[in-house]
Amino acid sequence: MIDPRRTDVAAIAEAQPEGIWLRLKPGTNIPLLNGMLHVIFKEGLQDDAFISARTENIDALRKHIADCTPDKTAEITGVPAEDIVKAARKYAQANNALILYGLGVAEHKGGTAGVMALANLVLATGHVGRPHNGIDPLRGQNNVQGACDMGTLPYTYPGYQATDDEKVLESFARAWGVDSLPTTEGLLEPQMYTKAIEGTFKGLYCVGYDPAQTQANIAHVHKALRALDFLVLQDMFMIETAKFAHVILPAASFYEKDGTFTSGERRVRRVNKALEAPGASKADWEIVCLLSQAMGYPMFYNHPEQIMGEISQLVPAYAGISYRYLDEIGQVWPVSASERHGTPLLHTKTFPRGKGHFVPVSYMLPEEDADKDFPLVLITGRRLEHYNNASMTTRCEGFDILSPEEHVEVHPVDCEALGIMDGDMVKVVSRRAVVKVRARVTRRSRPGTVFMSFHYQKTLTNFLTSPGMDTKTMTPEYKVCAVRLEK
Amino acid sequence: MGELYTIIIDGKEIQVSQGITILKAAQQAGIYIPTLCYLPEGEDSRRPCLLCMVEVAGSGRVRACSTEVAPGMQIETRTKELEAFRKERLQALADNHYGDCRAPCNLTCPGGINVQGYVNLVAKGEYEAALRLIKEKNPLPVSVGRVCPRFCETRCRRVLLDEAIAINHLKRFVADYALEHGYRERDIAPATGHKVAIVGGGPAGLSCAYYLRKLGHEVWIFEAAEKLGGLLRYGIPNFKLPDKALDKEIRSILELGIHVKTGKSWGEDFTLQDLRDDGFESIFLATGLSRQKPLEVEGGQLAIDGLKFLRRINTGSAPRIGKKVLIIGGGDIAVDAARSAKRLGAEDVTVIYPRSRVELPAHQRDIGEAEKEGVQFFLMAMPMRLFEVENGIKVEMARTILGEPNERGIRLPVPMPGSRLFWDGDTVISALGQEGDITFQSFGELEASIAVTPRKTIKAHPSTMKTSVSGIFAGGDAVSGSRTVIQAVAAGRRAAESIHEFLEKEKVGLIEPRFNFTKGKRFEDVDMHNFDGYSIRLNEIMPSRPPERRTQDFDEVALGFSEEMAVREAKRCLRCGCSGLSKCTYRELSIDYKVKTNKAPSRMRYKIDSSHPFIQVDPNKCIGCTRCERSCRYGALVLEIKEDPKTGTMQDVSIGLNEKCVSCGACVDACPTGALSKKAVIVPLLPSQVKPVKSVCTYCGTGCSLDLLVNYGSLIEVRADRKRPPNWGNLCVKGRFGYTFYRHKDRLTRPLIRDSIEEPFREVDWDEALRFTAARFMRIKEAYGADSLGILASSRCTNEENYLLQKLARGVWGTNNIDNCARV
Repeated sequence: MIDPRRTDVAAIAEAQPEGIWLRLKPGTNIPLLNGMLHVIFKEGLQDDAFISARTENIDALRKHIADCTPDKTAEITGVPAEDIVKAARKYAQANNALILYGLGVAEHKGGTAGVMALANLVLATGHVGRPHNGIDPLRGQNNVQGACDMGTLPYTYPGYQATDDEKVLESFARAWGVDSLPTTEGLLEPQMYTKAIEGTFKGLYCVGYDPAQTQANIAHVHKALRALDFLVLQDMFMIETAKFAHVILPAASFYEKDGTFTSGERRVRRVNKALEAPGASKADWEIVCLLSQAMGYPMFYNHPEQIMGEISQLVPAYAGISYRYLDEIGQVWPVSASERHGTPLLHTKTFPRGKGHFVPVSYMLPEEDADKDFPLVLITGRRLEHYNNASMTTRCEGFDILSPEEHVEVHPVDCEALGIMDGDMVKVVSRRAVVKVRARVTRRSRPGTVFMSFHYQKTLTNFLTSPGMDTKTMTPEYKVCAVRLEK
Repeated sequence: MGELYTIIIDGKEIQVSQGITILKAAQQAGIYIPTLCYLPEGEDSRRPCLLCMVEVAGSGRVRACSTEVAPGMQIETRTKELEAFRKERLQALADNHYGDCRAPCNLTCPGGINVQGYVNLVAKGEYEAALRLIKEKNPLPVSVGRVCPRFCETRCRRVLLDEAIAINHLKRFVADYALEHGYRERDIAPATGHKVAIVGGGPAGLSCAYYLRKLGHEVWIFEAAEKLGGLLRYGIPNFKLPDKALDKEIRSILELGIHVKTGKSWGEDFTLQDLRDDGFESIFLATGLSRQKPLEVEGGQLAIDGLKFLRRINTGSAPRIGKKVLIIGGGDIAVDAARSAKRLGAEDVTVIYPRSRVELPAHQRDIGEAEKEGVQFFLMAMPMRLFEVENGIKVEMARTILGEPNERGIRLPVPMPGSRLFWDGDTVISALGQEGDITFQSFGELEASIAVTPRKTIKAHPSTMKTSVSGIFAGGDAVSGSRTVIQAVAAGRRAAESIHEFLEKEKVGLIEPRFNFTKGKRFEDVDMHNFDGYSIRLNEIMPSRPPERRTQDFDEVALGFSEEMAVREAKRCLRCGCSGLSKCTYRELSIDYKVKTNKAPSRMRYKIDSSHPFIQVDPNKCIGCTRCERSCRYGALVLEIKEDPKTGTMQDVSIGLNEKCVSCGACVDACPTGALSKKAVIVPLLPSQVKPVKSVCTYCGTGCSLDLLVNYGSLIEVRADRKRPPNWGNLCVKGRFGYTFYRHKDRLTRPLIRDSIEEPFREVDWDEALRFTAARFMRIKEAYGADSLGILASSRCTNEENYLLQKLARGVWGTNNIDNCARV
């Protein structure tokens, strides 16, 4: 387990005789992974057969990590050298090894590079393309996979088909009965905010998402939302973003509609309508159809099954997906038109690009780190009991008892230095804001790092978070932000 | 793959793979062996239930769950001895099981309504679900909610603490609320092609029509009067049940597609043979009792008939009654007539009744209301003679005493020797109660063959409502004699189920076993420790018009609970019935094995622990199977059971959830009783009443399989299927317990718009919201181009929705500005 915090899983690893918990300094994923690779190559634990048959650019990688000795790595990451060696051996020597990673990898300035560092580890050891091996990003939300599959991204059409591919545009235009499709590059969410503040982005339709609470550095987001001419929000509750909206369209919950979700393992699963939507609220798909009709485009479907019919025509990976065959366990894409169950195991013989390409990656410093004025690193994340903006979980019976309010987790050593007692109200101060919250003294936190979630509308943690973003995906750097605590 | 063995279970030869247990082998062959402690894929119990013991030839009794099959094994699972042994084991557990299966209110309701269920749905704001639950047994809640004598409330345990829950007021609230908010009936079965005639459009007839129609039959109601409703319309005064409310209720039933012929009188306009000739395969007789017992004293004909009096008022032709009125009788009609007389302008209204106050058959609540309105009760007195005098009527009366007991032990009131009193006034109304009427027997041959009772009512089987003539059923007051509305409604429902069975040869309706553990059938049997820790909270008071105002007209007296009052009142419910009912394998087995509950403990031995956010722990219901302990993967559930060293029976049980608990809820779903139950499960239902809708959890991206247990349009609870990937029965706290947001009062239910974010929102309909939205987006597009617009879609929405959102952006708006919240 690699995590700066003693999470529940870290505690399990810690408690097992064979378990290893690498408690690294926040933001040092890449040097740690490079250090492990160094050990693997130094001790000859790499899978040479796999490397030669399935990969390229190994020499560049070996050269790149030649210096990353355990001692040096220990110095950067704060993880004891012997643990790095132990972990590298264990991973490389296992018959089967699976990497599961969460947002602690992605939500850094070097997030994409961190994922590549993991990929290097996988490729070097050949832990891929067989059952019980591989690398699996744990999705923070139920349909991250499906939303991306469906092309709600500015740079791809459904099925990751390029927006600048003439043939793709032609087939979609034909299917949709439109003369032309846009050719200009689309904006990523953070770019929309920038343009809104600049005054060139004017109208936003926001569905089932609460950027005013859950985006990083939300003072900036609020400014952008306020600058819009028109904001339409579609949700079940009056969430934080509602404050900036001109229209709120009431949406049905997933108990109240039919459809499919795609889980992190690419498994397309059916949600079945179990209840009627309350009052005049409607399923999101119905609302989108109605809005489209109101804007003059005839978008008519009787049931989500029809929409999936259209998707399967246009998205090769979903070609064989049909409500008739989804039954109780779903279908795993890619599913060809003639298939039923799909492809649970990928990369058995080749990778999508052919050979796996080693990309040497280097330690990327976070946007800001602990310093004299802000001596602590704030990590933000989720707690088991709540979900994202918690508009659902805080409205479920019992959860108010389980986890009624936000708190900042501080290590006893830091508490003692600051004279903070468990339960004290403290001010968490970053370069951008001050947030008042109760302190919880806990050894879950690493000395020098504190932790907060962003679940509570009453305590908007994201006023504090960093403006840093992953250089490629623009994913905010939620995991590192310099703060100080004041009583 | 191991070898295949041939074994014989209960004489059936089956092929099984090596290494599996007898239990698995039997399950694969579809042979049921009862178990309580067995946990699939789990470790063995330290306190085996021994119910799965089977007889293996040559080795005797073994536990099927832990004995592997061997080649040629011959197994008996159902010998007499085994069955007796199982019964004995279950019985021993019963003698240690303390709790209520079903709540006393539920068991007492003549309509069999799941009272606890709807009261708690009201508490959670699920009014439509509450109404659907009520309508499962009673399609006339608007009426019954106003006139029911409330059998349920007389059994409400809360009375031991402070006051009974005002259940009937809640029923009325729900019925009124839902009808006002556009409640629509759903789920009508496809047409069966059968045609049924109902004679009489009172509560029994309407109820029968409702259920028959829902089962898909073509239903015709024949009613002699001008309008439907029977006694509800023509007997009960408007100030108790206004026509408007009744009309709404009847309309909601007729909307199902029921044919109505009013002004058609049985015997005058048609005979039963005519109906048969018209293709009606079955007939339900629900004619009620329209005749009143005559006043058999000299001059009795001078009195107005009470029932006719009420009918005339209800049809708008109230008779002139003068200023001074005497009512003879003490039942509902007498009291209603007295209160009506007050409203017609009588200043002096007296009810005369030959017994004491407590014996008045009318409901005490109504008597109290009558007194508030100025009606006087002259008790222990009876009329002897009526005679006309100038400008009025005079009644000779006598004070009464109770005579010697007759052959049935009843002491009838008799005039006190020598007592002679006089009353004089304007009008005498006689309301001595209704009586049977068998003149219908002269209507035709079929009618003549319908058997009747000595009380001149139709003879019908009390549960099937069958008369002596095949295909003809009867119910309501015409069968039972004068009873309450809810009893007529129940008779109508039973008749519908029975008629359906007659027509379709299939049973419908829920079979509710009589089996029940109880904390005490009588109040005095209930251990008062059950109320430890509760604070007193008295009833909500039904708002009503002041007596001096309400006697000026016939408008409704009681005004109904507001939503806030209803919710507050409903929250007072103690939830006696077990919320583990739908998962209680122990109860199911006890029913199968005819276990007796009479030796169950009468005292509470362990405190019920409600400190966990989601799980209620009641060791009084523990059967010691240890499934909870074995299903916990976190070492969070500490189960301690002390046993009697001689008998092995449980003596001391403690179940504790410690700080390691992550609230995954595995233990609560593993518990085969209500020892562990979910606090959020508010409607106690039988296992057959919850149907799982297969779905997927929408919190994280793992995509755990969920079983959503729904009924009445309410999500009762969430479980996970042990047989479905990727979670194989496991869930986290959010998956198992994080579902009640759907009924939270904060849910947005109407579109909201505003011109600027400084203004408050205003509620609008969809048309306006869509027009507003489309126009504003269009204006921006025209002024600044398509790329000035954008969409943020959601990793929370379905694939189909995300697909449509990017279609909207690209295909309709013409921009690639579409992104989703995957970065969070």
